[in-house]
Amino acid sequence: MSGLTITIIILALAALGVLPWVLRPLRRASRSPETPAQLPIESFLPRHYGYFPQVRQALSGVDREYLDRVAPREVAQAAYRERRGVARQFLAGLHEDFSNLERLARTVAALSPVISSEQETERLLLGLQFRLLYVWVWLRLSTGRVPLNQIEQLTGLVGRLATRMDQAMAAIGALSVPELNSNLHA
Amino acid sequence: MNHLELLHYSLTVGFIILLCAFVYFRRLQWHLPFFTAYSTVLLACTVGVSIFYHFFGFRSEAAFNAYWVAVGLVIVARSIAIMELCRYELRAYHGIWSLTWRILALLAVLFLGHAAFDAWGQAGGIAIYGLTIQRDLAISCIVILLAMLLIRNYYGLTLEPLHMWIATGMLIVSIIDTINTAILRDTFTGHLVFWFFRRYGASWSSLRPQVEGATELWNRIHTLGEIASISIWCFALRKPLPAPSKEPVLLPAEIYNELSPAVNLRLRAFNNRLSGMLKS
Repeated sequence: MSGLTITIIILALAALGVLPWVLRPLRRASRSPETPAQLPIESFLPRHYGYFPQVRQALSGVDREYLDRVAPREVAQAAYRERRGVARQFLAGLHEDFSNLERLARTVAALSPVISSEQETERLLLGLQFRLLYVWVWLRLSTGRVPLNQIEQLTGLVGRLATRMDQAMAAIGALSVPELNSNLHA
Repeated sequence: MNHLELLHYSLTVGFIILLCAFVYFRRLQWHLPFFTAYSTVLLACTVGVSIFYHFFGFRSEAAFNAYWVAVGLVIVARSIAIMELCRYELRAYHGIWSLTWRILALLAVLFLGHAAFDAWGQAGGIAIYGLTIQRDLAISCIVILLAMLLIRNYYGLTLEPLHMWIATGMLIVSIIDTINTAILRDTFTGHLVFWFFRRYGASWSSLRPQVEGATELWNRIHTLGEIASISIWCFALRKPLPAPSKEPVLLPAEIYNELSPAVNLRLRAFNNRLSGMLKS
């Protein structure tokens, strides 16, 4: 059998393999609404970044110094592991916030009469880049090589993004039909 | 025709008649006219080819040519039905449709061009030419359907169950066609290539069992793929068609123009910050 035929067979079988995945029923929350009034704005806006003060408290350097000073080595190590676990969970929350905002942009694009191919391509590439970087940061966080202040900076960025989205949604409310307006400001 | 070939043929005709009955009973012609046309062409071609088999013989040249004409018609009808499905699924979302129809058309042109280029100048006449076109068109159907489904997933758009089953059936028949035809073409352009040249006529008697074995196996797999797809479509049409979903109410264009650049700017800033974390 020629190389081309083998490649075609492998790709066709791969297409068969991904078929259940591309046909999977979409989650109700992620379905595109039929009217703008059905846009579930609350589910799109970031939530996890708001918990950063508590996480900062849990991961603070003062705590670490205290543990180093008074706790036995095994206890301190276990505490560090738990702290890294907390940081990873928080990073996952930021990932969710990021994805929700991305989803909001896609939903608005779906309901827009005109969209820009440049904007859509850019967002697709940025999303892919983000996912790659996220995995890499997650791995580094697991080995304890990402300082706390950098997570704080990331959190600030998501927070500002959320504020910006709030403003944009207010602009949407002002621009669009009354039913959308009432939904957004309910 | 031997008993096995007769059985394949009867099964295929039976399933296609069942599909056409469902399609017309559910009045699908008002909903998906080109899929209806595809089912009708499938039935007409299967019956038409059988008439040629009856009058000219199963292994006659006329039946052979009629078979390839029928294959061509069915493939064209299937491609148009797939285009209709893509248009029907995305046209309500004007912005996405205006962006994606170009992508889908580009993919179609690319694969059709490749199919014509690949088939051009193939030794072996209509059979190899037909197999090459059939294989490449099946590949283009798979790519276009997967692209349409991925675009829908990306934008979180729902897929009506009937359309999902039609797309599944189209994908399954295209995938089986691709694998099956690629293997048969490989066999005919490989060690059975002498079958297509008159100057090697002396070796035909020794090749005949292998050629017949290969085509019979191809026929069997092709029939199974077709029956699997038709069963899926009949299953989808067993219930009355639901009322067509309402057209979505679109947002004013200014909202997208306001929101999209702002989101992209922030996403870029977020990625830059993540990259910065990795460099530090």
